[in-house]
Amino acid sequence: MDSPLQSLPLFTVGPAPIMASVVVTWAIMAVLVLGAAMLTRRLSQVPSKAQAVAELLVATVDSQIRNVTGAAPAPYRALIGTLFLFILIANWSSLIPGVTPPTATMETPAALAAIVFLSIIFFGIRGGGLGGFLRGFARPNPVMIPLNMLESITRSFSMFVRLFGNVMSGVFVIAIVGSLAALLVPIPLMVLDLLTGAVQAYIFAVLSMVFITSAVEKGRPQPKKES
Amino acid sequence: MTFDPWTLGFQAVNVLVLVWLLHRFFWKPVAGMIAARQVAAATLLDKAEAARTEAEAASAEVTATRAGLAAERDATLATARKDAAAARDTLLAEARADAEALHDTAKAARVRAAETLKANAMEAAQGLAITIAGQLVARLDNVATDAAFLGWLVEGLAALPEAERAVLAGAPLEVVSAAAQDGAAQNRIVKAVGAELGGAANLTFRTDTALIAGHELHSPHFSLRNSWQADLARIAAALHEDAVRDAA
Repeated sequence: MDSPLQSLPLFTVGPAPIMASVVVTWAIMAVLVLGAAMLTRRLSQVPSKAQAVAELLVATVDSQIRNVTGAAPAPYRALIGTLFLFILIANWSSLIPGVTPPTATMETPAALAAIVFLSIIFFGIRGGGLGGFLRGFARPNPVMIPLNMLESITRSFSMFVRLFGNVMSGVFVIAIVGSLAALLVPIPLMVLDLLTGAVQAYIFAVLSMVFITSAVEKGRPQPKKES
Repeated sequence: MTFDPWTLGFQAVNVLVLVWLLHRFFWKPVAGMIAARQVAAATLLDKAEAARTEAEAASAEVTATRAGLAAERDATLATARKDAAAARDTLLAEARADAEALHDTAKAARVRAAETLKANAMEAAQGLAITIAGQLVARLDNVATDAAFLGWLVEGLAALPEAERAVLAGAPLEVVSAAAQDGAAQNRIVKAVGAELGGAANLTFRTDTALIAGHELHSPHFSLRNSWQADLARIAAALHEDAVRDAA
């Protein structure tokens, strides 16, 4: 059995090795984009079942964003919603025989955490300006600047490690159990893996929203305390 | 454990591309449809609210109209009751007046009938009295009766004023007697009248059995009634006056 911590290239494009996780990601992207395009091609005021499910998903994402930020969900909807959908589908792709979820390799969660890290910076600067964003590191006082800067890195790193660890461990356990008793025994673990995958997708999306909101709030001018 | 930077880069780009594609093909259209449906629902709610407001206004108008109709009906009923009461009072007053008029008419007719009956009775009694008096006179002594009536005639002339007696003296007078007077009787009458008037009397004689008994003296401007017929007429007139006085 190959180690789940190892990624072997399927093929190379010039100097770049193309890993299986990248190919699976492309497949997930194709499924999501084609499905979305087919679904939204026939939108109507009286929704079909598929459209109702899609609208329920959008409304749920909007509600979560509104509850966390207290602001309009439109600027964050595409990023947060896509992160949730991609991680969910990627985690659940482990049900397909022979497919290793992209999130079970270190590169994909690291890429997702890097995107969240950059998004925090982007939305922080957009919300309070560059000065406001940088001043946010000096709150509650300038002594906290190093710790705040370290925290901005570590919290994204923790998201990466949490997602990778949970998904990888699930795949690893199923692989071990499957190698010992391949028939029917791994099924409860696979069901548990479905739950874990959904929970991890939700946690990653919500934490991303929380960190972005925190950066936006810190970048805004703070009201003066009354003495 | 391996960590491939190329794969990190590919996956980062893949996720960013996926964010853009899903924003383009999923999140934006679906969110737009939700917003459009919310706008349509809000429009429908506004229209429904406007329709409800309009319906409430129409209902209030109908209620007001119904209240106006009720008030108008009450006013009409009150007017009708008032008119009916006035008509009833008028009819009652007219009926009462008609009844009183009929009562008065009946009373007057009854009085007239009683008077007529009384007059007829008086006439009958007078006729009966004349008949009785005539039959009684037929059994009396004519000479003595004539003498008595002649004496009453002279007393009547004596009761006249002097001036009137002076006018009658010498004027032509007619003596009407109940029975024919022979020469001696006429001489007694001429002597007695002439003695009372103070000279010779210019008398003519006529007989009228309707007088029953007695002598009367008449001229164109003078009449001295002295007979049972005249007495009965005076009695009947007195009785009639008493009856009229009693009726009043």
